Amino acid sequence: MEKVECIVVGGGLAGLVAAYGLAREGVEVMVLERGNYAGAKNVTGGRLYMRPLRRIYPELWDDMPFERPVARELITMLGDGAATTVELASERLSGPSPQSYTIQRAKLDQWLADKATAAGAMVVTDMKADELLRDGERVIGVRAGGDEVGAEVTIIAEGVLGLLSGGAGLREQPRAADHAVGFKEIIELPPGVIEDRWRLNEGEGAAQLFMGDVTRGMTGGGFLYTNRASIALGVVVSMEQMRTRSDELESWELLDAFKEAAQIKPLVRGGELAEYSAHAVFEGGIDKLPRSYGAGYLLAGEAAGFALNALVTVRGMDLAIASGWAAARAALAARAAGDSSAAALAVYERFLRETFVMRAMEAGRGVPRAIENRRLFSEYPGAVARLLEGFFAVDDESSATLVRTSLRGARREFLKIDTLKDLWSLRKV
Amino acid sequence: MDIAVCVKTNPDLQLMRVKDRAPVLEAVPFKVGDLDKNALEAALLLRDAAGDGRVVAVTVSEGDRKIRETMKEALAIGADEAVIVSDPALDQSDQAGVALALAGAIGKAGPFDLVLFGEGSTDGYSGQVPSRVAELLGLPEIGYARSLQSTGAVLRAERSMGESIETLETALPAAVTVVSEINEPRIPSLMNIMKAGKKPVVEYALGDLALDAAAVAPRRAVRSNLAEEQSRKHVLFDGEPAAQAEALINALVAEGVLGR
Amino acid sequence: MSEQPGKVDAKLGANVFKLDQEPHIVIDTETCRTVCTRRVCLQVCPADLYETNDQGDMTVNWEGCLECGTCLICCDEKALRWEYPRGGFGVQYRMS
Ligand SMILES: Cc1cc2nc3c(=O)[nH]c(=O)nc-3n(C[C@H](O)[C@H](O)[C@H](O)COP(=O)(O)OP(=O)(O)OC[C@H]3O[C@@H](n4cnc5c(N)ncnc54)[C@H](O)[C@@H]3O)c2cc1C
Repeated sequence: MEKVECIVVGGGLAGLVAAYGLAREGVEVMVLERGNYAGAKNVTGGRLYMRPLRRIYPELWDDMPFERPVARELITMLGDGAATTVELASERLSGPSPQSYTIQRAKLDQWLADKATAAGAMVVTDMKADELLRDGERVIGVRAGGDEVGAEVTIIAEGVLGLLSGGAGLREQPRAADHAVGFKEIIELPPGVIEDRWRLNEGEGAAQLFMGDVTRGMTGGGFLYTNRASIALGVVVSMEQMRTRSDELESWELLDAFKEAAQIKPLVRGGELAEYSAHAVFEGGIDKLPRSYGAGYLLAGEAAGFALNALVTVRGMDLAIASGWAAARAALAARAAGDSSAAALAVYERFLRETFVMRAMEAGRGVPRAIENRRLFSEYPGAVARLLEGFFAVDDESSATLVRTSLRGARREFLKIDTLKDLWSLRKV
Repeated sequence: MDIAVCVKTNPDLQLMRVKDRAPVLEAVPFKVGDLDKNALEAALLLRDAAGDGRVVAVTVSEGDRKIRETMKEALAIGADEAVIVSDPALDQSDQAGVALALAGAIGKAGPFDLVLFGEGSTDGYSGQVPSRVAELLGLPEIGYARSLQSTGAVLRAERSMGESIETLETALPAAVTVVSEINEPRIPSLMNIMKAGKKPVVEYALGDLALDAAAVAPRRAVRSNLAEEQSRKHVLFDGEPAAQAEALINALVAEGVLGR
Repeated sequence: MSEQPGKVDAKLGANVFKLDQEPHIVIDTETCRTVCTRRVCLQVCPADLYETNDQGDMTVNWEGCLECGTCLICCDEKALRWEYPRGGFGVQYRMS
């Protein structure tokens, strides 16, 4: 059997960063990616949180292909035929070192693949790994395209479904209760129109998140990210709640209804559909993480459960990148020690803790329970709108009375004991 | 049998988008041309049938480093070696300049018993380059072969003439272009992809081939390759059907479309 | 089944799909017919690929698959043999 030092399954962010980290230290590493190119199979909302990443391979990011630095954050609550938006534009969001960028995976992943290749990694596209090869407990390589290739360490960065690792019993098969499905459209608009519509300076971007009616009471929300010359408009919704609905609603209808909503329509007006994509997201949280290492292998990125679905923001790309970095370090340590047993690769957990990955997962601990709470997604958005409508309303009654009634209404709607409970469960989010 | 196969790398057209009547090449990967893969496959079969020899994939490039990655595909499919003529001046070249560079490289990397081509490139599809190269190298040429057999000294090719099949024979060395029906190109196995990285890749500059930028400069300029745009009048007629028909006929007569 | 057939099809039309000869999703229609009561696949698929044919059997238009895995995860009865398409085939996202 042909052998290389390391095989990486999956040329997504986790896999490519791991390959880069290994190649730059002179390790013989081969990435297998089933798409025509790195990124061809990958779907994200569109925002990469950058700040935590700058310490990871600082030399890497200077020429990263991004769409726009996010300079304006908006959260819109949709309910009861109304939209209430909270908005933040701040120099601290963008500035010289922006907090986040909108990105497109076909570009970002190919760029990273080029970096890994330039560092000496071999990135093989159009190649699916069909099976993990085992020797007892130990993972000793992969079977792909009819050939078997051995490796001292196999880094499994195959993404959320974990078909290979699940099939080999290294982790559980995915369950609907721990996953959401996201689907989105890329809608092309001229850059100037985007800047006008979201009141952006030239080149800057916006991130707009939606909760409420978008998901018909189910946990999840809508998102809108501005790319350079397009917007990404999508919906993320709990799989478990979607599959246990008693009505005939079909998942894809959520996005169409969202796009047609009176408050969204003007945002996408004149735009042209350029792509429609869908992907699963892990939202099981830290308690559902599989063991991320074993004899001869490491799990990285979302294959290891490193993703957070916190209310309306999904975070997984930065965690994938950081865990890829940690996986490379663990494989390097194993190589230095000449030992790739489970005990030797256990250092991976330590490296993960040294990055922000485990801190982020820890901070997200309360989220899964909180987002099961359907009141957040159905009742509150409408209630907020009714409260504000009271303030803005002008009619026969004196405005003072109106404000008083609307406040009284708000008290009734918000100051139920449940609200306190909800607030409590959300304090961590 | 030593065979040179000329290949052109081009963007994966299936992945290319067209926006504002122009192709969007951003993030679109390049690959070896579809018909060139048939030529490569034919070369490998002839080499293996002969029992010895080498297959060399030859291409030209304007100097992008990525060409080496793209040419790995030809090596993974089975070519023994790759030759790249690399020079910024080739970016603007037309078929004449490309043929000069290819012929120069084939001459330098040769001698070869056979020079194979696809009948046309996936993107440009002018089909001119093979004949130009054959002429420059002084080789007899057979176009559009749908099968090839070699007895060592003689090459037999079949080509489809629609109603009939023509069988041609030529002494070697020769140049041949193939059509897609000739074979089903193999998909490289992982093992062969891994080996491809270790195969020799030779790069020539134009100077190595006794050529210079002036020699490969384009002799014609493409002003536009867009389909002609036809403007329409967009006239709408309202009213009763009978009145609309009347107005339509009058308008058509006025345009000279209907006889008076 | 969808109330507005064709709506998702139009969206899928914007995508690049490289089609293999063999389907990468195979339905155990026997299980669907005899055991499954809810047929959630009809509801959850973002590409609306699942249909009931005239005989009442489940079918899937796997050619337009977005490879999200939702049907696989949501299927009550584990009636799907679902793999990623062969390397190089299936949907190729350019802008997501
Ligand atoms: C709708 C949506 C919105 C999101 N929004 C955001 C966001 O705004 N910000 C954020 O940070 N995160 C977001 N996420 C999460 C984030 O996109 C993922 O967590 C992240 O992409 C995971 O990266 P990864 O490298 O682990 O896996 P992936 O990016 O999934 O990469 C896995 C790779 O492995 C390949 N592969 C799989 N199996 C095989 C095999 N057998 N052989 C060969 N190759 C294989 C795949 O083709 C793929 O390239 C979002 C996710 C979704 C679905």
